[in-house]
Amino acid sequence: MKMAGGVPDIQLRRITTDSDIVAARKLGRNIAESLGFSRPDQALVATAISELARNIVNYAGKGEIQIAVIQDTKGAGILVRASDQGPGIKDLSKAMQDGFSTGNSLGLGLPGTKRIMDEFDISSQPGEGVLVVAAMWCKP
Amino acid sequence: MSDVVSSSITGNLADTTTHANALADALAWFDITASDQEERRRLSGIAEQMAGEIIEAFYDHILSFDQASKHFQDEEHINRVKRAQVRYFEELVSADIDDAYIENRRLIGRIHEQAGVTPTLYIGAYAFYMHRLGHVILDKLAEKPEEAFRLMLALLKISHFDMSLALETYVETREETIQNRERELSELPTPVLKLREGLLLIPVVGTLDSHRARSLTVELLEGIREHRAQVVVLDITGVAGVDSAVANHLIQSMSAARLMGAASVLTGISAEVAQALVKIGVSGQQLNTAGDLQQGIKIAEKLIGT
Amino acid sequence: MAVRVPILQQNRRLIASIQEDLSDQEILDLQSRLLDMVVTKGVTGVIIDVSAVDVLDSFSSRTLSEIAGGVYLRGAKLVLVGIQPEVAMALVLLGLTLKDVETALDLDRGMALLDRSGA
Repeated sequence: MKMAGGVPDIQLRRITTDSDIVAARKLGRNIAESLGFSRPDQALVATAISELARNIVNYAGKGEIQIAVIQDTKGAGILVRASDQGPGIKDLSKAMQDGFSTGNSLGLGLPGTKRIMDEFDISSQPGEGVLVVAAMWCKP
Repeated sequence: MSDVVSSSITGNLADTTTHANALADALAWFDITASDQEERRRLSGIAEQMAGEIIEAFYDHILSFDQASKHFQDEEHINRVKRAQVRYFEELVSADIDDAYIENRRLIGRIHEQAGVTPTLYIGAYAFYMHRLGHVILDKLAEKPEEAFRLMLALLKISHFDMSLALETYVETREETIQNRERELSELPTPVLKLREGLLLIPVVGTLDSHRARSLTVELLEGIREHRAQVVVLDITGVAGVDSAVANHLIQSMSAARLMGAASVLTGISAEVAQALVKIGVSGQQLNTAGDLQQGIKIAEKLIGT
Repeated sequence: MAVRVPILQQNRRLIASIQEDLSDQEILDLQSRLLDMVVTKGVTGVIIDVSAVDVLDSFSSRTLSEIAGGVYLRGAKLVLVGIQPEVAMALVLLGLTLKDVETALDLDRGMALLDRSGA
């Protein structure tokens, strides 16, 4: 991964409490802004990070969000990597369906997050946690 | 001389073989045999001599037609084109028909499309050459008409093959141009029009894919903020192909507008669109709709009043 | 450290202006304070202003829905105002339409709405 601007390559946030959720999305938003993302896209990135961080808090108790600046021929982008060692998701395809909920909340917000981001990939095995990698490209 | 056509393609063996097969097929389709290829080489010497003359005659011919002459406005341009044609001529009678040859003919097709030279002009030009060449051949081989015929035939086969390549590419390039233009059109920003205080009109035109839908929504929402709109009229008369995906996008835009306190009226709904909306579970009650714009604006004005 | 969202009272109405992104705890705190005040102060209308908020995610939006429901159950009306274009976009993409919450463009419009409905 190449660097862009003066922003360090990868920034990592431990997620355990809900104020960590706010911190992570603030970080994502700041990075998006510094890369020249449009205002709507800044908000979208922040929201996506918030949802992913929230899942970590709600379902795994703790985990990590890594935010990195990425580059390709089209320009710069933000990569978000959310990982935890929690119980994992048993039925991924169901979880990626709209309206799927495991109980007390609106669900994992995964299909929505996928809609928000340009690129989205998720992997999970029951008992082995969840890994989501998503990216949004700068379209000023 | 063997029948195998040389290939300039590098890459894996399977590719080369399929490619060589395609070329062999094309040659077979036009009935171009190895001996045909040899045959026309006999013209090499003559062709160079005659090319210049024939081409001059050709341009005199062209410039007498308005339609064609407009493509050849300046001296410099005409000379360049003439030189290119001499080369083309020479290749016609002596070049190996291989991938480089084919690529070159395709390139010519592309250039013609981009220059706006129509197939009619192109084929007409080719016909002119063949006629002139035919006379030259008959002249040179007056004593052996059968040979002359064989030679002419060989040339015709190859020139037809040539034309098919150029024309195919012409068509491909044409389609590309059309697609590009359509894409440009669809990327034009959506106009957000303030009809009167508190009322916005957004005429949605073209295809509504998720990318366009998103920009539409952003424009719409920013318009609501800027004009402090209370009602938005979304006119979809000009939307091509409304299916459930498009219907979903529209519903999303309207939900977002509502979050900003603006009601939406969907106008220009055809029967099939109404059907698509019903399919995704939206009934008339939840949605303000109208068949035409006038009606829609009336509904919108009433909504502002509330 | 919880940031307390300022809640103004104007006659029988409450206006809560959220200044920045709230954490879950902060929004839950807002929820209990508002619902409490609706009862103890005889409030008829509540406006929650989110014009300074950049991100509303699933938790915030669900809680706002709950606040609206709770306010309604206690005999008052709630209007959510000031959702910014970026936030509206994100909510809708997440599938959160807040369809059971009344919305308005800004404070003025929100007040006008409450006036019209007699709240």
